[in-house]
Amino acid sequence: MKGKLEVLNREELDVIYSTSLYILQNIGSNIEDDEIIKLLKDNGCEVGPDRIVYYPEWLVKDCLQSSPKTVTLCGRDPTKDMVLGRQAYPYIISHVLGLDYFDGLTNTYRSMTKEDVREFLTISDYLDTINGVWILTMRPEYKQMYMYCDYETGIRNTSKPVCLSNFEPVSVPPAYELAAAMAGGEDELRKRPLTIAFCEVSPLTWNKYACAMLKATARWGIQPVVTVETPMGDTGPITFAGNIAQKVAELLSGLVIVQLLNKGIPTFFVTPHETFDMKTAQVSLAGRGDFIYGCALGQVENYIGIPMITPVSPDSKLLDMQQCYELAFSLLPQMLGGTKAVVVHGLDTTRAINNELLLLLDDMVISAQRLLEGINVNPDTLGVDVIKQVSSKIDKERRTGHFLDQRHTLKWYEKEQRPRKDFIMDKHRREKWIELGSKSFIQRAHERVQEILETHKPDPLSKELETKIAEIHKKYEIPPI
Amino acid sequence: MVDYIASIREAVLSYDEDSVKRLVTDAIGNGVDPVQIMNEGLSKAIVDVGDKFGEERIFLVELMLAAKACAAGADIVRNKILESKLQVSEPKGVIVIGTVEGDIHNIGKDIVVALLEASGFEVHDIGVDQPAANFAKVATETKAGLVASSALLTTSRPQQKAIEEILKSARLRPKVRTIIGGAATDASWAKEVGADYHAVTATDGVSIIRKHFGGV
Repeated sequence: MKGKLEVLNREELDVIYSTSLYILQNIGSNIEDDEIIKLLKDNGCEVGPDRIVYYPEWLVKDCLQSSPKTVTLCGRDPTKDMVLGRQAYPYIISHVLGLDYFDGLTNTYRSMTKEDVREFLTISDYLDTINGVWILTMRPEYKQMYMYCDYETGIRNTSKPVCLSNFEPVSVPPAYELAAAMAGGEDELRKRPLTIAFCEVSPLTWNKYACAMLKATARWGIQPVVTVETPMGDTGPITFAGNIAQKVAELLSGLVIVQLLNKGIPTFFVTPHETFDMKTAQVSLAGRGDFIYGCALGQVENYIGIPMITPVSPDSKLLDMQQCYELAFSLLPQMLGGTKAVVVHGLDTTRAINNELLLLLDDMVISAQRLLEGINVNPDTLGVDVIKQVSSKIDKERRTGHFLDQRHTLKWYEKEQRPRKDFIMDKHRREKWIELGSKSFIQRAHERVQEILETHKPDPLSKELETKIAEIHKKYEIPPI
Repeated sequence: MVDYIASIREAVLSYDEDSVKRLVTDAIGNGVDPVQIMNEGLSKAIVDVGDKFGEERIFLVELMLAAKACAAGADIVRNKILESKLQVSEPKGVIVIGTVEGDIHNIGKDIVVALLEASGFEVHDIGVDQPAANFAKVATETKAGLVASSALLTTSRPQQKAIEEILKSARLRPKVRTIIGGAATDASWAKEVGADYHAVTATDGVSIIRKHFGGV
């Protein structure tokens, strides 16, 4: 990819990385689990008072070495697997998170229904620019089994990869059974594993819940996702360099534990970049600092060599100018910075989803991909022959040719401009726009959403899988989803 | 037996100028009626392509290449008709078209010309930067039923009013109808100058002209 944006140079990346190693060795992390403390101690870490564990540099480097440099995220259809670390463009993952749905036509929020989730996933399944989904609904009726219920909802509505988040190890076994049935057995599941994320607590603390998840994923052979949140000025330094160094230290502490629990298992990081907004006392996910941080993380990811997924999470409460600004300024620096995948939330700092927003995202992603690709310069794209041919058309001593009827234009239009026949951005003359109903983007997107929902049906589950799901519900007393 | 008419339509829809020329030549050589080739093969194909463009299912470059392929086939048919002294079918309409004086923009006009010619109209394209008198002169000479003028500049659009006036003084109005288009024009300007029609886009213009001459 030619298009790139850098906010750190190589020397600065070296300094940040060495600072992370220094933090791990000299400041250490607080670990609320005796079993994991023992594991770390047995493998060369020092343990101080107050459950503080200090990681020697060689151990961190060993674990980085044993951690695979590519990670595969899987769904029902193996042809749609995401192989982080090998793809041409950053993957895009849509995230169902929060409890509300935003109705773009009435500008109102309401409680998110199961049907809202189904529709959101169906549209994500339809759009080529979206490579997978991440689900964390925590619907109260699912109780501790929400992760399993999210998983089943996910695979029912998309054959693309489905990733999960969890804080309750009790729902790991049913999810594992479903994943194994879908993969075609436990051996196959090891090749195309289930992916579950959980979160460490900053600064530098592995609390008992996250430790329980670390152990549960290791026990079940599940691909763990280490997530670290270090809001700038809150649980991490306000400065970019210091915050990144602390974040990398925290991520690496998780990687060490994962590798010691289950050597060689692929893992990757989800790295929210947040600023603590000192005016409102709220964590912001799409402030000025976040735009810069998102770009830096792509660079850090390529430096360390472990795949990361960076989030795009607009704070806007409406589908308005702030939403577009935050979405564009979050997405573009991350993609240009070199991140391997972006997980995109809806509105209101991850608290609500919206279907029309997926269509805006869809077009922005194509533009960002085209920007990444850069300009292709070769004899054919230089087009001297076609310039000569068009310029040779002369009428009454005046050149009258154009490129609209040239095969060169046909050949390169789609490759160069990535136009779309189902484009919903309005490019008509005003008279035509009025004739078409003077519709806003949201109105046009809403119509397109309805068309997609009427015509696109995700591939159904097999009869065998349905039988297995019924067994799982009975065995674990899971309510119908 | 090759279905030449269907193959010609297919070649136009594939924007394949060389195949259109070859198929039209072969069809004539195998005794297919040139008028049938024109009406059922070439014209029908270009109308289909135009409809697809109107529905935003294909891009303009595809429409233009189809029109170019169609025009290449139509040239062969016309030459054959002239050479064989066959009964020539009446054109669907005679149109004079040009860009007004002081304005050298030609692309929208050229799109209209390409599509109308491909659809079987007799089009007299007088070019760009044309004085109003020239529109009237050619309309008289060709017995045109419609005069189409394009203006992309606010400084050049008053020439469209001049065209109306000169057509009136030549007593060609209202028998000869007028349509205006171009970025500097809108429906209220058309009303102000007294034009019969206003085209928002080149393809809208083609639709209006087709309807005016009784087509769809």
